[in-house]
Amino acid sequence: MSARNVATIAAKDLRITITKRSARLSLVIFPLVIAIGPPLLARFTGAGHQGVPAVLLPRVLDAFTFYFVIIAALLPTAIASYSLVGEKIERSLEPLLATPVTDGEVLAGKGLAAFLPPIAAVWAASVLFMALCDELTRGELGRLYFPNATAMLIVGLVAPLAAVFGVEYSVLISSRLSDVRPVHQLATLSVLPFAGVYVAAQIGAVTLDRPTLAVIAGALAVLDVLLFAAARATFRREEILIRWT
Amino acid sequence: MIETQDLTRTFGGTTAVDRLTLTIAEGEVFGLLGPNGAGKTTTVRMLSGLIGRTSGDATVAGFRLSDPDDARKLRGAIGLLPEEPGLYPDLSAARTLDFYGRLYQVPAALRADRTEKLLTLLGLWDRRDAPARTFSKGMRQRLAIARALIHDPPVLFLDEPTANLDPEGARTVRDFLLELRRERRTILLSTHLLDEADRICDRVGVLHTRLLAAGPPSELRAGRPGHVTRVQLAELTDAVVTAARAVAAGPVEVTSGATSSATGGPAGGTVAVPVGDPGRDNPALVAAIVAAGGRIRFVTEATTSLEEAYLTLLGGAGSTEPRVTQLEGTQLEGTKPGGPQ
Repeated sequence: MSARNVATIAAKDLRITITKRSARLSLVIFPLVIAIGPPLLARFTGAGHQGVPAVLLPRVLDAFTFYFVIIAALLPTAIASYSLVGEKIERSLEPLLATPVTDGEVLAGKGLAAFLPPIAAVWAASVLFMALCDELTRGELGRLYFPNATAMLIVGLVAPLAAVFGVEYSVLISSRLSDVRPVHQLATLSVLPFAGVYVAAQIGAVTLDRPTLAVIAGALAVLDVLLFAAARATFRREEILIRWT
Repeated sequence: MIETQDLTRTFGGTTAVDRLTLTIAEGEVFGLLGPNGAGKTTTVRMLSGLIGRTSGDATVAGFRLSDPDDARKLRGAIGLLPEEPGLYPDLSAARTLDFYGRLYQVPAALRADRTEKLLTLLGLWDRRDAPARTFSKGMRQRLAIARALIHDPPVLFLDEPTANLDPEGARTVRDFLLELRRERRTILLSTHLLDEADRICDRVGVLHTRLLAAGPPSELRAGRPGHVTRVQLAELTDAVVTAARAVAAGPVEVTSGATSSATGGPAGGTVAVPVGDPGRDNPALVAAIVAAGGRIRFVTEATTSLEEAYLTLLGGAGSTEPRVTQLEGTQLEGTKPGGPQ
């Protein structure tokens, strides 16, 4: 696999992505809401706006941090859906596949382009989130809660793995449909497993501690590898040209 | 430069291309004619390495379709203009060419030079920074042609290059194709525009799943190899026909005209006489007819339009079972040698 070809395809897709206003907005608005909303909630919720009690704050802040996993899985779906279905709509796959690139390079380039902007947005928003949380909860906790190992594990490992999951799931959906909207609608279902983990944590079924997060990360890594293999099997030039164009 | 041997592709139970055997020489422009669904696009896709073949094989620019190690090199040696331009609407013309140039591993300096040269030649240089979505159909098609040439490939596959263009746009593209022909590139031009093939191609082939005929357009128009001289007569008599048959190199076609309504005189007519060498045989033919008492009005070379020849080959517009014709120098699979069937 040529890294140069992957980078060329990714750069082209990134350029196209940033020209789309809807993509730019979704990359800014969702992370910004998650970065600002939960810290304010932690500080000002409840009667008299006294905020979350100190004893509950660590658990609540960890749960809030997990939101970044959910949006990491969600954000790439819009880009990945358009990236592949857009090629179908514009009929641009045939000239692309006529170049000396391999199917794997096309897939990797598109995946990279769908992965990088969301993960950059997630990381930027998580820095803002942690800074805001520290600023707003320092008085209650008497210390800076962030950064910590749990948050780093969530944002640095689980979120990127969730983003890869979102990308590959979108690729699989895209291979079966030819309209951006239904593809995106179905692709957003990729957040369900992560929303499920969040709900399970909220009802006390699981604890989002480091061992649990390590297990989630391991399971996601395996799932990502399996999904990549499935996406690669689906993304065959002959099938693409005959079925997609 | 392009050589196919029994190249076949089936989809499920449907045969799209059936035992295509064809040779296209270096620098030759070959037109692949055929109706929709004749297998033209499938042929182009197989030869471009985009889809596999069911059986048979082909060599393009020295690379064999059946060799998996050649697939990437083959794609690097050809330029493809698909049926749809397939451009990225949000990329400018210059960025489009830069993107494809990178994928074809064209060095940066050369990429910039070729981008300028091609966009200038195709009249797009002034719009190089405009996104493709702002282009007219003709401009998009020209940009797609530039894209196919950015790596200066020795072999070009052009699938319906002027389809859906207005006359002016089609003419610009055709003029550029003639320029490419002068550069001696090997070009396979898939089209259903017979006039276009007639003007641009050195040879044409009629494909209807099978290759029905191949040869220079003039030969295809004539419908058979050699020459036919048409002699229009003031009066058609048995003696004249006998005289013509004596000189003819093949069966003589006789067409009677209507009796002159003005004069009530005898009916005129035409004899179409196959001749081996017009320079040698036509004077003898004329002399024989005159000696037989024939009064000649005109002597012309018998030609049919390419469209007539094409429709004849396909067995008429409504027919699903085409008639197979073999032209001189064309080997057809599944047909007996020796002429039309």
